[in-house]
Amino acid sequence: MLVMTLLVISVADPSSAQESAIALSGGASAIALLTNATGTPQNRTLTEAYLTQPMASADLRAGWFRATGILNFEGLTLRRGELDLGEWGEGYVDRRHPHAYIHELMIGAQSPSGPLAASVYAGRGFVPFGSDDPMVRPFASYPVDHHLAQILERLVVVAALRGGPIVAEAATFNGDEPVDPSTPPLARRFGDSWSLRGTLFGPAGTELAASYANVKSPEFREGQGLDQRKTQLDLRVTGTSGPFTRYALLEAARTTDIDRGRPFYAFDAFLGEAAVCRGDIGIAARWEQSDRPEEERLLDLFRSARPATDLSILGVTQWTTLSAAISLPRLDMAEAHAAPFIEVARITADRTTAAVFDPVQFYGTRSMWRLSAGVRFGIGHEHDRVGRYGVAAGTAVSSPGPAAHEHRSTPSHHCFS
Amino acid sequence: MTRLRSLCLVALVFAAGCLDHATGTTRNASCSLTATGGSLGAQSIPVIGCGLLGSRYTAEVAVLDTTAYTTTWGFRTAQGNLLAVWNVKGNQPELVDSVIVSGATTLGDVAVSDDGKLLIVATERTNGSLVVFDLTNPRHPVQLSRLATQNTYNGVHTAEVGRIGGNLYAILAIDALSGAPTPESKVVIVDLGDPAHPREVFEKAVPSTDPFVHDTFLRDGLLFVALWNAGIEIWDVGGGGQGGTASAPVVIGSVATIGGDAHNIWWLHDAVSGSRYAFVGEESGPAQIGVSSAGDIHVLDVSDLAHPREVAFYHVPAAGTHNFSVDETNGILYAAYYNAGVRALDVRGDLETCTPGQQVTTGNITRCDLGAMGREIGRGLGGGGGTLAVYVWGVELSGGALYASDMLNGLWKLQTVQ
Repeated sequence: MLVMTLLVISVADPSSAQESAIALSGGASAIALLTNATGTPQNRTLTEAYLTQPMASADLRAGWFRATGILNFEGLTLRRGELDLGEWGEGYVDRRHPHAYIHELMIGAQSPSGPLAASVYAGRGFVPFGSDDPMVRPFASYPVDHHLAQILERLVVVAALRGGPIVAEAATFNGDEPVDPSTPPLARRFGDSWSLRGTLFGPAGTELAASYANVKSPEFREGQGLDQRKTQLDLRVTGTSGPFTRYALLEAARTTDIDRGRPFYAFDAFLGEAAVCRGDIGIAARWEQSDRPEEERLLDLFRSARPATDLSILGVTQWTTLSAAISLPRLDMAEAHAAPFIEVARITADRTTAAVFDPVQFYGTRSMWRLSAGVRFGIGHEHDRVGRYGVAAGTAVSSPGPAAHEHRSTPSHHCFS
Repeated sequence: MTRLRSLCLVALVFAAGCLDHATGTTRNASCSLTATGGSLGAQSIPVIGCGLLGSRYTAEVAVLDTTAYTTTWGFRTAQGNLLAVWNVKGNQPELVDSVIVSGATTLGDVAVSDDGKLLIVATERTNGSLVVFDLTNPRHPVQLSRLATQNTYNGVHTAEVGRIGGNLYAILAIDALSGAPTPESKVVIVDLGDPAHPREVFEKAVPSTDPFVHDTFLRDGLLFVALWNAGIEIWDVGGGGQGGTASAPVVIGSVATIGGDAHNIWWLHDAVSGSRYAFVGEESGPAQIGVSSAGDIHVLDVSDLAHPREVAFYHVPAAGTHNFSVDETNGILYAAYYNAGVRALDVRGDLETCTPGQQVTTGNITRCDLGAMGREIGRGLGGGGGTLAVYVWGVELSGGALYASDMLNGLWKLQTVQ
């Protein structure tokens, strides 16, 4: 098992070494997943198994210096993509694409905690836009809105400033999305896109965030495809009540395709998800309604070409997904663990226009089921959040921004990790 | 390559009556809906007949005497890998043969050589190619060769066929493809002198700033290249007097059309007004296939090939143009107009002189509005708000009839404007 072969450099409790000592920590994780889905293209029922989200991560802190990285090995285990009806992006349709080998590799500097704190990070990683990486949220399956509510694996410089409960982030990055797991971003496109995110950290583990991004030609690597204007708003709540931990996220996102300043297509997403855990055992639910552009499929009906040959699309499909998950007791062995889980989803696909893409014709039905069972393996430290850096990463008002990522500082849904 | 053959089964009242042999499904539309032409307005172009294809989206059309060829696009209930062969001698096109081209998701273009001996088909997307068919028996094309190279890998979007210095060439417009070894769109010229062994003699990448080439038009040793946001270029490939050849073209002129998205071109040789004008189709957006489209026809004065200039345009609200076919004897341009069906324009005479009320100024360019000038002389296939949804990809004049390929329904045979 890949996860077992990965070297864990050392294991530390980052919260105990916030601003002085050198702290190096590492970990690895993966999910063994078995999925059955009905109503895939041409009304086929498919059952597939794979190792998804295999990752190794490390964090280093030395005084003001920070470094963090995540290697993602889906390029080896998930070439054909993970079966996930409604999902799209990076040339995959109805399958979630494999992520880049270098999912994140950022270095940064962070000022000491205080009334006003700042951080600057640079490297390949997450753009300050939208919600956390779905990999650290309760469901193994990605939401349809992944490409509407996150921007990742870009060459990015992120500056963050925190004053009391308010964090402001700004970034510049390359607009082109990855073309495959191994091809690096085009360095010459660094700086052609930018984003802003503001976050208000409230009491009782609440945070309210709003994001805006101006992304240059994400789907045409050479830089002359449609641009995107993206907005996202979310409310996140985490906390503990006695033996229970809780997590909830509400988000709304809109992406508008732009051609030389002219708005063409707009895609909306609404998502709510929540999890409650008692120890290792937990339940989670997610409701989502997201728009998806329909594009010309290739010989492999789970793929589409980038870029499209012109400015047209085949229609917009609205995907509504209601999902539930159960996390079962996990087995711990020293620093390693194995945590079984089950997910089920009811999915509906609705045509929003009279354009040619008809879900009923293509899938044979407008309603599908997905049932998944799996085991999350982990060793070493566990990321509680991914997608924020430096002073933007903290949640508690009283202890702002201690880390590049959050490492179990709020055990909001650890039963799903 | 798999050959499928079928018979036309039943002649329905007002309908083509051809079974979609590829799947055995029945047609999804009836010619009777438009046969009356009653909803098309005063300038309707009457329907003669139709051949319906429901399993695939129909793409381009080419006609040789009494045989028409249509290609297919994307995925409907089957891949767009079918070349349909129609007997169009009668009023109703009859599907008489078809060819499946392996490894293709779209056959975006089809053309017949001027001697009627060869049919060429462009295949998309990845592992794109040019397929050459022998038309010794026009009703049953036989594959002669297939050119698939690194240059065609991204997909061949369009393929035109014509002569340069007496030799036959195919002009290919190649797709851009992110992550490909050569991601840029490009123009490739193929020598078809030995059609069994087609040979690339020229290729040129389009700058990523343009960033596509969609189509070309070859005539009299000049190649008109539609370069999307860059407008058009005119290349001397043997007839421009600048020393250009098929293997070493020389750019002699260019112009950025207003709005960009230059998709296709027709250089008019009008029996009265000569070769003064070229027409450029703009394939703009937003566009949802089947229901909406955008983009005007732009008229260029190319009397000075080195300095073409835009002088007129034609606009249809809520619709966009695609491919053209021109009756040069009578000075009538027929344009496929996707969801607006087919439009016919009177293009004879001076197109750049009009009253102030017929002018539109964009930036520092003043153009004549052909619509306001009363140059629109015909509408077909729902252009006046007909009840049958159409999405017309291409048109072709042949034998006194107009053929229109409709992505949603198949092949239409129309009367021409008198």
